[in-house]
Amino acid sequence: MFKYFISFFVLFVVAETVAQKQKIDTLSSNKDSIVYKSPFGIRVGIDISKPIKGLIGENYNGLELVGDYRIKKQLFIATEIGFEEETTQEDYTNSTAKGTYIRLGFNYNAYENWLDMNNEIFVGYRYGLSFFEQTINSFTPNVNNNYFPANPIVSGQTDNLNAHWSEFMVGIKVETFKNFFVSASVSYKVKMFVKEPSNFKTLFSPGFNQIFESGTGFGFNYTLSYLIPFSKK
Amino acid sequence: MKKIFTVLVFFCIISSCEKDDFCTQNPVTPKLILRFYDNLNRTQLKNVDQLYVWASGKDSLFVNQSTDSISIPLNTIANETVYNFSRGNIVNQFTIRYTPQQIYVSRSCGFKVNFDEVSYISNNTWIADFEATTTIINNQNAAHVQIFH
Repeated sequence: MFKYFISFFVLFVVAETVAQKQKIDTLSSNKDSIVYKSPFGIRVGIDISKPIKGLIGENYNGLELVGDYRIKKQLFIATEIGFEEETTQEDYTNSTAKGTYIRLGFNYNAYENWLDMNNEIFVGYRYGLSFFEQTINSFTPNVNNNYFPANPIVSGQTDNLNAHWSEFMVGIKVETFKNFFVSASVSYKVKMFVKEPSNFKTLFSPGFNQIFESGTGFGFNYTLSYLIPFSKK
Repeated sequence: MKKIFTVLVFFCIISSCEKDDFCTQNPVTPKLILRFYDNLNRTQLKNVDQLYVWASGKDSLFVNQSTDSISIPLNTIANETVYNFSRGNIVNQFTIRYTPQQIYVSRSCGFKVNFDEVSYISNNTWIADFEATTTIINNQNAAHVQIFH
């Protein structure tokens, strides 16, 4: 019984291999007849999630301009420049961070396009740098007793703070109209260095977003951008 | 449609990450710890019977207790706290003087208050003597004052 099974399968495998070989031959004869060129150039845009976030919440203001330049078929140099101001309300503190930032790095497009489409599923790395000031608007010492309650204390502002971080991102870019792109991406950030105010901690850095206790953070971008093509390759 | 959905999912993930820690350090601001010892045998703990404790002008924290150690809060918005320790009907006024110091702990815990340059004054009615073991109150691991009676 098994003998018949095995011989049947052997026959099947051989038959399939032959079929596969023929297919490759027919494909390769058709290849290279048309080459689809894709545009190279500089792409500039704006992150629209930040103004929207500013309109919805009272504690946030921000603007981010994005740009990238295609250096290889799959590789882009990318940068973001922005301004952010956020008030962080915690149980015992209320603080505002305000400043500018720049992120510089590259995107690698891992998506193989059909025909002449220019869509992207990309992974990227950024080095981030921000310059900001931090103000403790008020804080209430955590005395956890009602016998001698504590009063809110108004505290000062610390200037000339900065933060450095690394950022890993993944996202998609879709060409919706000719040379016009819509992009969404998420990023995971790892703090490398933060100049902290004395007797306080930076809870939010522009460009980084909220800095968690572990020194990490998450970001989200939703950008509209326009490609200015220089050449086609 | 699919794109909008993806964006919404991303938004949910990010907004749900907002609160990442809770203050587990308890208590954040230390209380003053006193232990009561026998005045004749100063290494021997001795209970105070019928102990009443209150800060001047406030409600009682301890009422008719029998204990050899108490922890009491200090007023963080003043430079001294006046306590009344009463054994039965005999009241002993005990004043703690200090400089409060706000120290940042973490996002969830906020600021704690440590007490520097701590000194004590007692009008010694039923308390025979006392001994401060530290001049800085920044934890609750050990007694800050030993009271002999």
